Amino acid sequence: MRFALSKIAHGLLLILGVTLISFTLMVWFGPDQTYSLVGKNATPEQIAEIRHELGYDQPFARRYGGYLAQLFTLNLGASNSSGEPVSQILKRTVPVTLALMIPGFVLGNLLGIALGLLSAQHKGRWIDRLVTGLSVTGMSISFLVIIIFLQVLLSTPYGLNLFPVRGWQVDDPGSYLRYVAVPTLSLVFVTLGYNTRFYRAVFVEESGRDHIRTARAFGASTATILWKHVLKNSMVPVLTRIMFSIPLVVISGSLLIESYFGIPGVGKVTFDAITSGDQPVLKAVVGLTAVAFVLIQILTDFIYKLVDPRIA
Amino acid sequence: MDPANRTWQRLRKDKAGFMGLVIVLAFFLIALGVWSGILGQGWSEAGGGRWEAPGKAHWFGTNLLGQDIFQRAVYSVRTAFEIGFVVSVLSTLLGAILGALAGWYSNTWADSTILWIKGVLDSIPFYLFVAAVAFALQGKPWAMHLAMIATFWTTTGRLVRAEVMKIKSREFILSARTIGLPDLLILFRHVLPNTLHILFIQSSIAFVAAIKTEVILSFLGLGVQDGVSWGLMLAESTQEVLAGHFNNFLAASLMLFVLLMGFNLLSDALQEAFDPQQAAL
Amino acid sequence: MTCWGKLNPVNLFRYQFALLSAALAAVLMLTACDQSTDKAGPANSFTIYRHSMDGAPSSLDPAQASHIYANFLAVNLYDTLYRYKYLARPYQLESNLADGLPQVSADGLIYTIRIKPGVHFIDDPAFPEGKGRVVRAEDFVYSIKRHFDPRTRAQGAWLWQGRIVGLDSWKEDGSDYDREVPGLKALDDRTLQIQLISPFPQLTHTLAQGFSAIVPREAVEYYGQEFAIHPVGSGPYRLTLFNSASAVLVRNSHFREEPFSLEAEGYDPDMHGQFGLERLEGRIPPFTDRIEIEFIAEDASRWNAFIAGELDFVKVPVSQFDQVLQSREPPVLKPALAEQYHLISNLESGFVHTDFNMDDPRIGYHPDPEQNIRNKALRCAIIKAFDWQKRNEVFYYGIGQVFAGIIPPAAPEFDTRQDPALVARDLDGARELLSAHGWHTGNLPVLEYGFPANVTERQMFEQFRSFMGEIGYPADKIRPLTFATYGDYARAFLNREVMLITTGWTMDYPDAENTVQLFFGPNSSPGSNSANYSNREFDRLYRSSSSMQASDMRTAMYRNMNEIVIDDCATISGVSRRMILLWPRDLAVLPDRSFTGGFFFRFVAAAEPDTGEAPQ
Repeated sequence: MRFALSKIAHGLLLILGVTLISFTLMVWFGPDQTYSLVGKNATPEQIAEIRHELGYDQPFARRYGGYLAQLFTLNLGASNSSGEPVSQILKRTVPVTLALMIPGFVLGNLLGIALGLLSAQHKGRWIDRLVTGLSVTGMSISFLVIIIFLQVLLSTPYGLNLFPVRGWQVDDPGSYLRYVAVPTLSLVFVTLGYNTRFYRAVFVEESGRDHIRTARAFGASTATILWKHVLKNSMVPVLTRIMFSIPLVVISGSLLIESYFGIPGVGKVTFDAITSGDQPVLKAVVGLTAVAFVLIQILTDFIYKLVDPRIA
Repeated sequence: MDPANRTWQRLRKDKAGFMGLVIVLAFFLIALGVWSGILGQGWSEAGGGRWEAPGKAHWFGTNLLGQDIFQRAVYSVRTAFEIGFVVSVLSTLLGAILGALAGWYSNTWADSTILWIKGVLDSIPFYLFVAAVAFALQGKPWAMHLAMIATFWTTTGRLVRAEVMKIKSREFILSARTIGLPDLLILFRHVLPNTLHILFIQSSIAFVAAIKTEVILSFLGLGVQDGVSWGLMLAESTQEVLAGHFNNFLAASLMLFVLLMGFNLLSDALQEAFDPQQAAL
Repeated sequence: MTCWGKLNPVNLFRYQFALLSAALAAVLMLTACDQSTDKAGPANSFTIYRHSMDGAPSSLDPAQASHIYANFLAVNLYDTLYRYKYLARPYQLESNLADGLPQVSADGLIYTIRIKPGVHFIDDPAFPEGKGRVVRAEDFVYSIKRHFDPRTRAQGAWLWQGRIVGLDSWKEDGSDYDREVPGLKALDDRTLQIQLISPFPQLTHTLAQGFSAIVPREAVEYYGQEFAIHPVGSGPYRLTLFNSASAVLVRNSHFREEPFSLEAEGYDPDMHGQFGLERLEGRIPPFTDRIEIEFIAEDASRWNAFIAGELDFVKVPVSQFDQVLQSREPPVLKPALAEQYHLISNLESGFVHTDFNMDDPRIGYHPDPEQNIRNKALRCAIIKAFDWQKRNEVFYYGIGQVFAGIIPPAAPEFDTRQDPALVARDLDGARELLSAHGWHTGNLPVLEYGFPANVTERQMFEQFRSFMGEIGYPADKIRPLTFATYGDYARAFLNREVMLITTGWTMDYPDAENTVQLFFGPNSSPGSNSANYSNREFDRLYRSSSSMQASDMRTAMYRNMNEIVIDDCATISGVSRRMILLWPRDLAVLPDRSFTGGFFFRFVAAAEPDTGEAPQ
């Protein structure tokens, strides 16, 4: 019980910290949206009016306080650029981003773990070298390059022309598979090298531990029991990585994919907001991400306790 | 044989690792050459024709403006090293120190504060953070580096913290404490060195990540502002590739690929060479 | 705890592999099935036109239609009083919602306009019982008033600011919609009257802009801020989907029926005979049932999508011109493409130029008269050293039109017999100017060249730097001043912080008044005179000419003003880009991205169902 309470208090502090830093960076020092909203030949009076409408002329404490209040009451406002309520924007973009990124994310990690284990088991032999070589290769190629290459290869008449070039007109599982295929492949390609390498390093390191040697000395077969021990005891870094790469992958990673493939998801909307200075959208996304992240952290801590009793 | 010599012997035997070392050194020499004004100085001269094929005057051909692609690719080595070094060294250092402190003083206010900072920084999506820092610093050249360091250290920090917490309860540490050695001495002299493999892996990952991040940032217009980098070259090439001009793309991605490959091979080998408990699996 | 042990990684790996193979197989099978239904059209005669734009609007509120993307949508979802004829070139005004051209009083101050009867807004919950009501003259009055209400955050007020009697004071008095504006009245349900403070010959043109589109008060009040994404208009289409990636427009079945007449739209068999428009005579627009617009800013994606058959229209990216065109002048498609697509090459209705910030004493006006002269010489030298031909060749495929000054080719007053020497590169002349006025490597000022950070702008900067290198301007004295977005860049130059400002201007109407006002003193930053240019003679000429109707004398005055700006070397100007537009042969349309921008949607027609296996 005390554990839970301390976690919640911790979480609230986290949210406070995130909102303060992002507010300062993105809102206070952020781009002045006024100049995107004025027309040609604006007069100084018109500019001042718009600034007032957008709330730029209020002091820091007041604006930050107002922001926290908004977050608490979930009164997220509406976009300054389009007038659409932020909650509506989120409602229509978040599911899209999740549907877009989850397959690639899951696949990339599962394959990474599998290949990492395979590689660690046959450490030093040709399988290991092959997998390592391929993953290093994968890590050394830029995301951008992969996206362009795959798009030309799979979606144009210059290549195989199997999938749509861009867009997201998803009505049924069939069309979903068509639209998500190339983005998923791109994501897997990009993350697989990293994942494999990381997991391999973790498993190799774990394999070098005393208790593994002990198990071996006791005659346990290399294959089954060592993996049982290695994998189980590596759960901490493995889970850590998976959990903490979720916000990275979902929002940051989705940005490029969404821009390139024209998918109306939350990454693109957020990036547009930050570069145009559309505060309501920005505040909402950052605030909600903080909350989501805090929840993930709490969850991860609970899982830590379950998986590794050594961690007090 | 002393440990250092032993390590060096192990490294020499590892062919792939040695090759990695050679590659990295070669690139480093190129970077030095650019820094000292010998190589790659003609990167901004628009001397050639548009999209010339590789030839005597321009070894990799030219880009849209008639600039020599080879010179640009060579100059980019310097840019890459600048970004890679600064970001990987500083972020790993920061992560090591803060992670060690957090792990050693785990569950105290020091740990909680560091974890809190870590949590806060991790909660802000990376590219948004970088964009925000770029705006806040009004486009000063260090904006990108600062933003990367501020986010990269957290991974190292978290791993080091977890590792330190594990090592902390080991016998030899417990005995050191019992003897009465000061905490920080134990931490930095005995505990932290046992995390070196993590630091090496992480700094090589950070180096690679820094360069790759620069590619994306330059594509979005938030990266290198003046000068040239592989990222800018690739951004240029996204248009050119469709028109059938691959030189820019090939030059940049090839050089990038080789350097990163070299770095990865080297760090792999270093890890094995340093690892005192190398399992014979 | 024990459950982890059962995860045998070998099996895991194999299992994943099998799953992946199965998934791939499934995908391939499904795509093979789906192929047929996606690219071919349905069996009935429902027609779809898939348009592409290289940018996206953020708001569909006509009051915020400052960019071409929003303008396109505004004029299709709403009615404007006037529009431009579909085919006539040069562009000619045509009545849209208005019933005939305005009646103008002798002194040019009073415009009386009648609107067509029986035009309805679309059905929407904002109206009582959800039924759209008749459009009245009062709606136009309301729509213009909105631009003078700060709460609208309108962007079009500048068109009518200081022009209409009582409108500015209406705003100062608190923008109360129930109060009348003397110069903007509805005489009855179908007649409106505008009273101007001084003659404004371009007024009717402004009534063809998306800004002047007619919105119902009920919808604005009902939806509040969301009105920007929930349009309620009387235009030929209504909206069914809108997000950052696409918009879908569906035919407005209540749109007024006005049979298409080739002659009325300015048809010329020589120019238009090849587009298959003849059979549309007498039919009732809008001809297409549904328009799907994809917003694709990335050239690569847009082009790929078009070539893959997913789009019916594309503005070809410059990087593709080589692959696509067989010859440049006149632009002709390669044979393989010519079989499938039509092409037109459109000169943009605007131009691109680089201004010197005359407010900056390092390069512009200087209080010391001698230094002022030296600065001017420096500017002129820079202009002479600028290689327009190379700029045109590298970035515009050589088919852009370079001209001197600020009256672009799209303006009727453009001087086709302008001396080409004005834009020819003159390195000797440049060097002479520099040495004659005591400029040398040591004392040249650092030039800060501002631009939003993207690949093309950066390359233009580097090209500029290399141009200047040839007259001895050291490379490290030409520095990039980058901004992450255009909005940020605008903020900087509107606050006079940028030394060299590269911008483009899109004309709002086909009249050079729209571009010469860019150098009118009182319009300086934060107005559109970003060069902060100020010349007494120029300003005097502007004031006199702005109230004149089109005439030879007025044209002479415009050209005079142009020469003044050229002589003062205030700007490196300019080039009008030429766009290559492509669409499939089985579409009968003449698309346009300028003044008729958007209005042509209602005239897009698909091929007849019986002419082969046409998709639509």
